Amino acid sequence: MKNTPFHKLTPRAIRVWQLGSAFGNLFLFAIPAVYAAIFGYQRFHFWILLSVIVLLLTYYILSIALIPYLSWKKWRYAIDENEIDLKRGVIIHRRTLIPLSRVQHVDTRQGPLLRWYNLASVTISTAATTHEIPALDEVIADRVRHKISTYARLAEDDV
Amino acid sequence: MMSEFQRQHPASAISGAFALIRENFVTILIFLFLGVSNENLDFLWWISGGFIVLLLLGFGSWWRFEYKIENGELHIRRGLFVRKNLYLTKDRIQVIDITAGLVQRLFGLVKVDIQTAGSSSREASIEAVSLQRAKEINRLLRGETDSSDAGESEEISETIDKPQKIFTLPGKELLIAASTSGSFGIAFSILATVFSQAEPLLDESEMYDIIIGLLPAQNDLFTIIVMVVIFAAAAWLLSFISTLLSYGDFKLEVKPDEMVISRGIFEKKRLTIPYNRIQAVHISEGIIRQPLGYASVHIESAGYGDDKGTGSIVLFPLMKRDELLLFLNDILPDYQKLHEGVRPPARAARRYMIRASVVITAITAALYWLLSLNNWVWIIPALSVYWGWLRYRDAAAALSEDVLVIRSRQLAKNTAYIKRKRIQDATISQSWIQCFRNLCTVTVHVASGDQGKSFSVTDLEAAEGRFLLKELKGHGMSYGDLQDIPAPEFTVKLPGWPHSLIGSDQAAAN
Repeated sequence: MKNTPFHKLTPRAIRVWQLGSAFGNLFLFAIPAVYAAIFGYQRFHFWILLSVIVLLLTYYILSIALIPYLSWKKWRYAIDENEIDLKRGVIIHRRTLIPLSRVQHVDTRQGPLLRWYNLASVTISTAATTHEIPALDEVIADRVRHKISTYARLAEDDV
Repeated sequence: MMSEFQRQHPASAISGAFALIRENFVTILIFLFLGVSNENLDFLWWISGGFIVLLLLGFGSWWRFEYKIENGELHIRRGLFVRKNLYLTKDRIQVIDITAGLVQRLFGLVKVDIQTAGSSSREASIEAVSLQRAKEINRLLRGETDSSDAGESEEISETIDKPQKIFTLPGKELLIAASTSGSFGIAFSILATVFSQAEPLLDESEMYDIIIGLLPAQNDLFTIIVMVVIFAAAAWLLSFISTLLSYGDFKLEVKPDEMVISRGIFEKKRLTIPYNRIQAVHISEGIIRQPLGYASVHIESAGYGDDKGTGSIVLFPLMKRDELLLFLNDILPDYQKLHEGVRPPARAARRYMIRASVVITAITAALYWLLSLNNWVWIIPALSVYWGWLRYRDAAAALSEDVLVIRSRQLAKNTAYIKRKRIQDATISQSWIQCFRNLCTVTVHVASGDQGKSFSVTDLEAAEGRFLLKELKGHGMSYGDLQDIPAPEFTVKLPGWPHSLIGSDQAAAN
């Protein structure tokens, strides 16, 4: 019985996700803005607008203050010569097994924000789905990618 | 001579134009109606203009389509606006299908479909060439097998391979399949689109007045009901005829390492499925077909299938439920058929019923208050609760040495057989409520066409879900929370159809 340790993502992921939601979720406030532009903000429209804005603001604050931390806390991944094992999810816990013999190709990706923090994400494609291990340290991401593709070559099988 | 670039027979311009019409049928209809209702545009101009554009496009794509074969490689240059160069090498080509559609038959030509495992092979079909030319293409791309790939059988499916078994669809089954076909809904929506476009022109026509005059002018409700009935009947007729045309003359040939499906009355369709591309088999018992004791058999394949993008193929359109297991044994002997499985626990039943009915009930209630409908409307939520209970009753999962079976119901009851080594990934997920109730959802993906298809069972006992995942891992390697899970109690026998072959199935499994 071999024990494969589960790894966490780098803690810097939290900061990246916070920034990402801070900018990315700003567009949500376009909804009340558009509504106000169409219907104005008199009488009962005011209350509708107020409730929508309160809801959005709550979500916005949560998406920065709480959700990145929680999802970092929940994320675990493990790789051995037979399969990749991913655990994640804040509201819905997911645990996924990907047999290495099914892996078609592995890539690393790096958006501008990730590059700024020297992070990268690893995407694993099978013939049916694509999975992502987000926000790993550049060096580790490369190592993970290399490890997966080595194992996948060993486990060469048909589709 | 094949190493020079060649064009197809000019008839492909016509079949190309037809393909365009087929793909954009609804759009064209809408345009037509717009054109008709537009006063200052003459209808004939509109039609002929559209026709000329289509012919030009067809001609252009014919002119731009060139192919040649050199050193066992098919090179296609095509594309009217975007130039594409496709290269298909001989050893990547898995299937070459030679068929003849309506246009091809008129000119005595054939169409050559070339399949590789990649998705770009969809574009590599040569629409119209002479049979002689097609045979030559076939010979050059598959014919002389090198000694290196003698392991793969590369016979031309036309002549050399004698099929072991042939299944056909009897007329009675075809009629039942056509009258219970699921494309009913699609036909309905097409009709609705056409009708909504056609209404302004019907309004002005005398025909409309005549029809309305015929109807007893009771009240609006009656008119609406009559309209709906007429509509439904028309939609049913449409789907009846289209199913009849596309599944008439159905033939399934089983060969040593591939299956060939040919179907269609005017438009012959032919599909070759090598066994090694089959990812999953699923049997669907439709909501009308199940009470009649019928089901249809589908296959997910890793190449392309019946519909664009998905690898779903109708392997057999309609079959009596008690013949299913014998049929599957005949065509897929390497799948174990009978399994001990697990079902969602009793406490999940309530969740199933709530999930199925909550939205429908809310909508019904809102409409009830707003429109002060009569009390009969509450039948709908009651039906949805019953539907939820059916979904609970039909959900099950089983795992044996090399096959995973997942049974679930959307509207139709689906039983899927998935080879374990074909599973691309397996997931167990738990929402907060599921955590609290100790339940989980198990999902697996298989490849299908150039994307994936998922099969899942909701609200299994959490420990059972983990057990399934651990078993799927295999290799005896487990760690963390997957360690030492006791085997669950098996409460259900899958697939649960009548059968008389337990003995022979055991024999096949050994």
